[in-house]
Amino acid sequence: MKVIICGAGQVGWQIARQLSGEKNDVTIVDVNEDLVRRATEALDVQGVVGFASYPDVLQRAGARDADLIIAATYSDEVNMITCQVAHSVFGVTRKIARLRAQDYLKPAYADLYRENHLSIDVIISPEFEVAEAALQRLAAPATFDSEVFMNGKAQLLGLALTEDCPVLNTPLRQLDSLFPSLRTIVVGVRREGRLFAPDAGDQLFANDSIYAFTHSEDVNRALEIFGKKTKKQERVIIIGGGNVGLAVARALEARSDRIRAKIIEKDRKRAEFAADALERTIVLNGDGMDLDILNEASIDRADVLLAVTDDDKTNILAAVRAKQVGCPMVIALVNDPTLAPLMGPLDIDAYINPRATTVSSILRHIRQGKVRAIYSVGDGEAEMIEAQVLTTSPLAGRLVREIEFPEGVLVGAVMKGDKVVKPTGDLRIETGDVIALFAMAGDVAKVERLLQVSIDFF
Amino acid sequence: MLKRLQLLPLIVILMGVAAIATMVPGLHAFAIRDHAIGRAFLYSGAIMFFLTVMLGIVTMGQPSRMRLQGSLLALLVTFVVLPLWLAFPFVAAVPGTPYFDAWFEMISAFTTTGATLWSTPAQLPPSVHLWRALVGWSGGAFILIVAAAILAPLNLGGREVTLGRIPGHGGDGGLYGGGAAGPVRRFLQAAAAVGPAYVLLTAAVWAGLLILGEPALDGLCLSMSSLATSGITCGQDAGIGPSGLAGEGLVYMALALALSRRLMPGSAVTDRTTPLWRDPELRLAAFFLVLVPLVLLARHWVGSLEAETEAKSVTVFRALWGAMFAAMSFLTTTGFISSEWSHATLWSGLTTPGLILLGLAMMGGGVATTAGGVKLLRIYALTRHGQRELERIIHPNSIGGEGQAARRLRREGAYFAWIFFMLFAMSIAGLMLGFSLVGVPFQTSLILAVSALTTTGPLVLVAGPEPVDLAAVSALAKGLVAVGMVLGRIEVLAVVALLSWSEQRR
Repeated sequence: MKVIICGAGQVGWQIARQLSGEKNDVTIVDVNEDLVRRATEALDVQGVVGFASYPDVLQRAGARDADLIIAATYSDEVNMITCQVAHSVFGVTRKIARLRAQDYLKPAYADLYRENHLSIDVIISPEFEVAEAALQRLAAPATFDSEVFMNGKAQLLGLALTEDCPVLNTPLRQLDSLFPSLRTIVVGVRREGRLFAPDAGDQLFANDSIYAFTHSEDVNRALEIFGKKTKKQERVIIIGGGNVGLAVARALEARSDRIRAKIIEKDRKRAEFAADALERTIVLNGDGMDLDILNEASIDRADVLLAVTDDDKTNILAAVRAKQVGCPMVIALVNDPTLAPLMGPLDIDAYINPRATTVSSILRHIRQGKVRAIYSVGDGEAEMIEAQVLTTSPLAGRLVREIEFPEGVLVGAVMKGDKVVKPTGDLRIETGDVIALFAMAGDVAKVERLLQVSIDFF
Repeated sequence: MLKRLQLLPLIVILMGVAAIATMVPGLHAFAIRDHAIGRAFLYSGAIMFFLTVMLGIVTMGQPSRMRLQGSLLALLVTFVVLPLWLAFPFVAAVPGTPYFDAWFEMISAFTTTGATLWSTPAQLPPSVHLWRALVGWSGGAFILIVAAAILAPLNLGGREVTLGRIPGHGGDGGLYGGGAAGPVRRFLQAAAAVGPAYVLLTAAVWAGLLILGEPALDGLCLSMSSLATSGITCGQDAGIGPSGLAGEGLVYMALALALSRRLMPGSAVTDRTTPLWRDPELRLAAFFLVLVPLVLLARHWVGSLEAETEAKSVTVFRALWGAMFAAMSFLTTTGFISSEWSHATLWSGLTTPGLILLGLAMMGGGVATTAGGVKLLRIYALTRHGQRELERIIHPNSIGGEGQAARRLRREGAYFAWIFFMLFAMSIAGLMLGFSLVGVPFQTSLILAVSALTTTGPLVLVAGPEPVDLAAVSALAKGLVAVGMVLGRIEVLAVVALLSWSEQRR
């Protein structure tokens, strides 16, 4: 597939890395010559220097025979125009644009992006995606990672196991007999930094990080079984009143369970803007690293602190400080993936990587066809893929135990109709079922073959 | 015509209007065959017109270097001097009246206060009542026009609260005539904007009252006094005659126009973007208009329990309506009393709660309306500020929401509202001190001071246990009441701004 990526910034770069790694013909366009050169040197991509929305530049990037264009420059307007030019001049079939300004994203104006208007197939808003991710973390407080699948009926939980976990040193196959009604599968284990898909004989140890795929109704039970207490998050402190913080606070206000949120924002103008946009949420103007301000927000009684400023170091330090003064749970937004290993030693309970969330949502849209959701686990080491089983698929009509899944692939759950069931060896996969698969990065291609997605789409 | 008028000083224009206006009571007197009175009005009117024309010829076209700030002085002078001019036909029509008393009567009418020295209405002929009501009505129009044309551009009259700018400065263009336009031009343009609606609304209320069976003259006086919130009646005892409850309902609605400037078309409006039901003044007014009658009713109910009188549901409803009407009437600083008001007293045996009415009158109606008092917008700014300060005790660094305008209202707006409130309180204290010096008893001086400063004349009749007889107080005290009325009408803040301006100019 030929893909043009406009903008070689964080998101553009990561998508380019991901897509070029999957043997796609990727061209990256940016005005900044250095960025383009670095991309072409580090990744298997071609580079074009120029203003992304100019038809000439797009022509040089090979827009005539491109299948997909991803506009992810810093400017919303350039992204829109790029998609429009790609559509009207070059007839590119699929166009994805990143739009940040909230005004462009209001559902009331969604008509704007229809085929015969400003033709954009998919709009990705990083702030929105990150806010969603933050809300998911809040919903499953004891996890370090979580994502919703199967229309919200199933969840992937990332859990760090401690000594408290009651099922340590137990082979996984015994979990079934211990808790027969539990609809939870351990799909991935990270031990000493290495992620693998466990088989039935593997045991769990303290300090393992596991990924468990569970029915939404069983989330609390699963958390208990893996030694995590579940407690309602009532008092939330958000550091940073930018688009992310504001979107999270808005979503919390919209919820019915009366969560009391406080936002700490350093910039007065921005704080006023946030205060105007919110109703119940208290907005404090001050430095999130300042202990006085944290005390004013009554950090000692808060259930969770969310550090979502645009600065990684501020987020990390604010989270550490909050933890130190008694906040039971801290979540930090971290842009730099290389900082992720610091989270453990710094005692930060969870982190949100905007890059990962944005990239995974863009990837989800690229792998069209019958793949319904893709979530990139860890630093792109594995993927959780949700897909519909097609008639052409070798999976269709076979029992789970008969299917020859590659070694790094596990079935998380199967949705028949709108009922999510736990996969057992005797379960027959039928056409039209939705299946959730955990696949190590190296096995993604084989999984796609199993799902017959590639042929279907490309 | 308008261009010609612009060349005249404001005071001459007003004098001419006054001269022409004498035709109304004059013709009325002839219509009811009271020829002596009719002649008195028409002859004095003719003399006034003649003098005005002479004055106009002398002053016309003189280049006026008066800036907007200077027009504040003109305003003050107008309120003191014009009543002298208006008293002329009054003295002619009521022979034997001391000129001072007539001046007091006119200043009371022109400031829309409506306090009168003639405690029994029958002492004055009906045409003179009409003249008083007419002057009060013109005074209401005058203050509406002044609020839009002169006070608003100077950040006075409530605009200092919404904009949070220093009162008495500016002249930033405002609403009429643009930045360079002279005060007279602004005045005339504002008059053209406000006038038609004011006249039409008055006519509509009059027509309504006529349909409901009110006599023509009484209805006209009622409608004019409701629009101007002057509370002047034509003979009835501060109440409404044959039109009964329906008439009172109509007057109630007419009074409601003084709750917010937004209800009067053409008046000084700075913000039309918020929907009417979210308007802070109207919300605050609604709060008081519901709360106060309920409190009054509860008080009477408890009273009736003690007195063990029988409470029929009809009596309760009549008492409730009386309280509702009183709340509206005194909140807009008008002073009409419903005929049902006394029912409550009969029912419970308790006296009228005068202090509550004093409090309502001090709160006042909307800014830039015909109502007096501290004004709802300032009260609102102060409450919001207080609310915010309480929040800040818990979260010192918190930021208040609701937008830039709300923040300005809570911060600078509340500051100016507070200054105004203090000036108002100090004026009450000062006036009371003055009354005490000239030998008025304490309670009476409180009632007189509040009723003068809030321009609610009928308050003197109902606030105390016994009505205060203005005719009985000394001339000095009357003079003080007159000072209070003028201060209350053009707002103390405007006077302070004027003083500070002339200080700067020196």
